[in-house]
Amino acid sequence: MASLISCPHCGARPKEEFTIKGAVLPRPDAGAGSEAWMDYVYRRDNPRGAYREYWHHTSGCRRWLVVTRDTASHEVAACQDAALAKRAEAQP
Amino acid sequence: MSEFAIVHRSALAPAPRVASHRIAIIALPEGHVVQVFERAPGADLLAVLADAAGTAPHAVRTAGPGQWFIVGDEPLPRDTFLDLANALGPHAATVDQSHGRVRIRVEGTVVERMLAKGTAIDLDIGAFPVGHSAATLLGHVSVHLTRLDATAFEIMVLRGFASSLWEGLERMSAEFG
Repeated sequence: MASLISCPHCGARPKEEFTIKGAVLPRPDAGAGSEAWMDYVYRRDNPRGAYREYWHHTSGCRRWLVVTRDTASHEVAACQDAALAKRAEAQP
Repeated sequence: MSEFAIVHRSALAPAPRVASHRIAIIALPEGHVVQVFERAPGADLLAVLADAAGTAPHAVRTAGPGQWFIVGDEPLPRDTFLDLANALGPHAATVDQSHGRVRIRVEGTVVERMLAKGTAIDLDIGAFPVGHSAATLLGHVSVHLTRLDATAFEIMVLRGFASSLWEGLERMSAEFG
């Protein structure tokens, strides 16, 4: 596990300050079938390599982040504020 | 907002202090702590906040994006808090946290070495200058750190953790006694 996470608001912080929610996945429509929701809620690929996850900086700025890390080498490739990244996507 | 004022009792009474010639831990007066949340993201409120907070040094502390604390040693009468809330109203929401957070001052020539036992952030004065604030972990306790001086920090902690944190600080300082 990567032990230092570069929070875009706080700088490099130890992983103990964060809570990991899990993979960043597109949320299905409310009316999508039970199979789509089963996938979204339970099924994970557990890849070796690059992985995008939601991390919460619980003991710091309390913002949700999207951390892109490598599950094999532990390197962190990127760390963005989840809400700001979403807003930037919505207004290209 | 409640219709009655809260009766205040000190969390670290009666005003304890631990000191040696190199380190001192001092419980600050339980004056006021007001948490401020911006209404619209991205607006620069520092000038507005500094105006509302008065003239005491380091009265406004950053606490993550769009969040600040306004702190001081004097209790904030209800009317004064409402005036502050109204003054900031168009820009930010305010919550009186005076009853909920306790401030502890730590100072001395070895203060960074003492705090470094509990937190991973860089406390060097170049990286963490006077007036700078950070929310972080001190041991297993979430705290809000502010540098008040070259050799002094203020630790703000949730009230329920104050006496536990105090014991931790005493233990962290023991070797410097």
